[in-house]
Amino acid sequence: MDPQSQTTSLQRLQNVEKRIVRVLELAGGVMDEMASQSGPRKEIANNHCSEFMQLIKDIQFALREEIKSACEYRPFEKCDYVPRISNEICYKKLEYVIAQLDEMKQTMEGYRNAA
Amino acid sequence: MSLKPAASPARPGPIINRFQPKQTQPKSQFPKKKPNFFVQNHRLFPDRPPNISVQRRQPLEVPIHIPPEILIRTMDGNLKISIDKLPIKRLDAIEENGSERFPSDVDYDENRLNLIRRIDFGWAVEREDPSKKQKSEGTTTSKDSKTTNQKPGQWQSLVENLQLARQELSVIIDLINTVEANDAVTVAGMTRPKQLPNEILSDLAVSTATKLQCFRHLGKYFKQSATALEQQVAREARFYGALIRLQHNWKVKRHRFGASASGNKGFYIDLFYNTLNDTSASLRPSSMSTIPIEHDTAGMLAVNLPPNSCRSLRFEFLGSHFANNMRRAGETNTRALSEDSTETMKEHANDDECVRETHSLLREVHRAIFDEQVFELISCEACNSSLSVNLTGIQENYLSLSINQGASVSISLLPSSQDNKTDCGAGTNSSETETLPSELLDGSKFGEGKDNVKKLGFPNRISFEIYLQQLFNEYVFVKVKNKTTSSVRSQISGQQSKDNLNILDHFCMSLAHRIFSNKVLSELEYLVCRTPYVQLISHHTWHSRTSSWTLSMKVPQSILHAGSQIQSSGANNVKNVNSQFWTKVVVIDESISVQGEGNPNVVGLFNGKPEITSPINRYECDLADLPIILLQQVASQVIQWLHEEALSLGIKVNRDFLSLAFELDHGEIASLVAHVDPEDTIGCISWWLMIDDGLTEDLKLHPGLSIGESESRKFLGHLSLNVLYSTLLDFVNLCSC
Repeated sequence: MDPQSQTTSLQRLQNVEKRIVRVLELAGGVMDEMASQSGPRKEIANNHCSEFMQLIKDIQFALREEIKSACEYRPFEKCDYVPRISNEICYKKLEYVIAQLDEMKQTMEGYRNAA
Repeated sequence: MSLKPAASPARPGPIINRFQPKQTQPKSQFPKKKPNFFVQNHRLFPDRPPNISVQRRQPLEVPIHIPPEILIRTMDGNLKISIDKLPIKRLDAIEENGSERFPSDVDYDENRLNLIRRIDFGWAVEREDPSKKQKSEGTTTSKDSKTTNQKPGQWQSLVENLQLARQELSVIIDLINTVEANDAVTVAGMTRPKQLPNEILSDLAVSTATKLQCFRHLGKYFKQSATALEQQVAREARFYGALIRLQHNWKVKRHRFGASASGNKGFYIDLFYNTLNDTSASLRPSSMSTIPIEHDTAGMLAVNLPPNSCRSLRFEFLGSHFANNMRRAGETNTRALSEDSTETMKEHANDDECVRETHSLLREVHRAIFDEQVFELISCEACNSSLSVNLTGIQENYLSLSINQGASVSISLLPSSQDNKTDCGAGTNSSETETLPSELLDGSKFGEGKDNVKKLGFPNRISFEIYLQQLFNEYVFVKVKNKTTSSVRSQISGQQSKDNLNILDHFCMSLAHRIFSNKVLSELEYLVCRTPYVQLISHHTWHSRTSSWTLSMKVPQSILHAGSQIQSSGANNVKNVNSQFWTKVVVIDESISVQGEGNPNVVGLFNGKPEITSPINRYECDLADLPIILLQQVASQVIQWLHEEALSLGIKVNRDFLSLAFELDHGEIASLVAHVDPEDTIGCISWWLMIDDGLTEDLKLHPGLSIGESESRKFLGHLSLNVLYSTLLDFVNLCSC
């Protein structure tokens, strides 16, 4: 299992979902095995079942870790909408200044070309 | 031969176990489950022998559980009843050579009939006439009496059982009819008779086959679910991945109850942030504050907004010939709110673009909400009476104000149009603004008058639009957020002793100041460009209502070197001559104040001291007088410098306000007089040389009479500092004192 430090929480939960899909596939495989005409092959069924149990254990472990680590915080405490607006205003100022500088540059080039 | 009874335990009585509708069961190798039908009526058949069980296999059939080796024979021999329980193919006969002969395939019904025919019910008929039978039996030999006595006994019980079975069947038929007629019937359960091993095995086989089928079905179902879940997981992984990326920047919330239709999970983005808690009007969340997050066709996150729903604040100068009212060509005021991109197939490489587009969209909406809030605040403030703001027009999403300097502006809330390519030559964007009331057009002051150099016009409207937004953001939102009052308020209210803070007032005063200072600047530039030895320096004051410039006059280096050479040769009165003179012009709101050094003190003039202290004077003036005052200041600084230079050269000079008087031989006084004229197109400061030999007193007393040149007055022209210095040196030779 991936150590927690390497993947983000979302990736870990996605891994859990992939394991669930794999678990379902194993269950289907076991059922098919049991339903086969010549009777179930023991080693295959055993392998499937052991993998199933292992995956269930992994899933449970991962979910427990995730639930424990869901931090308690007041949501949207550090909302940055006001600085974001300040940022937008600064962006507009920059646009304006760049336009002015471009005009100045054009003026200079005009003089240079005329000279 | 004995009639072997069925090896079955005692029966409690006939009870209907299960009722099944009439159906013809097909011939099959293994009999299916056989329900047992027993009429529930203990009282009907109390004498029912317990050791005979009647099993209903087929309707209207009366199978009798009798071992097959009982055959029916004729009355005179062994009677055996053979009834095929299992419809296996039985040998008809086997010949000596080993070949087997099977009976021909007979129809089921025909077979049944054959079997029934094989039963001879003659004895039953005889039994009903017991007298006849006894009579007939009495004639039989004693040899057969034993067997026949046993036979009739067995036969009689068989017949009785058959009759009972028949009665049961009639009850069952009545039951069928009753149920078919929809009468209520209560049925009690009953226990099944114990099954034969082969029946048990067949039951087991059937159930095993069914279970196998179930397993197969379940296996298929699991596999299908696995693939469907995998697809679903992949779809949702894209969605949630994008949602988490958006969550880094925006507040993502979820409707707990009543999720919206079309399978959405109820996510939405909340763009509202109410910071106003005190006196200002609390802003209502606009309709755009909550943006629902939807799925597009590929299951990816999508945000759909109605087009042109975002409005932006627009600040304009009113007047038809203001070229700066147009939008810049490259102004990215809008973002295309088209949703074409959501229709394309999304791949992983496009997920980034999708998220970025959504992010840009949200930025746009966020800014639009802010603009709306600002407009509301402006409206509230404009409606309160204030000094510098006059509200001249109000409409929905439109305000027009008139500012002090004769300017009229409009603040409006316009939908962000997608058309940025307005012509550069066009005036106002008449398609967007409302019709202007004609009395607001006040551009006449700027259309006429001075030449291009002097006309700076109005400041750029975009800069003031941004400034307006910044003011409101800083003083409304950020202030409440940071809860700082003192440092912020002091800047605005520093120039007016008002306590209540009106942002719009401040803005309008800043605008008026800017317009006024542009006029001042144009005047200064005009002056300076015609006075070559004066430089204009602008200073940043970090205050929106204060501007300041400096006119500095610097003595050229060549003169300084020459002066130092002469001084070193003279070796007396080594004095540090001022080589730089400055005049400062400060404009605060709309009042100009000029301060500069070099103006002689009036008191010092009277005292006639050679060392004249040059304090820094400051005085106010207005725009019309500014040029004259500045020129006088500069000229007096030149005179001051010349005076100091002359003193350092050892010349006896006297200094007046704008003239420098040299004492020549023979008592003549030659004066170098500065003449300032702001309207002079060649230069503003011109010099005259006046010679006064004491004879033309009257001329001096009446300076206004002599305008032009004469013998005592000579126009020198617009001299540079070098020329003035060399003139000074000439006077050295002339004075020679």
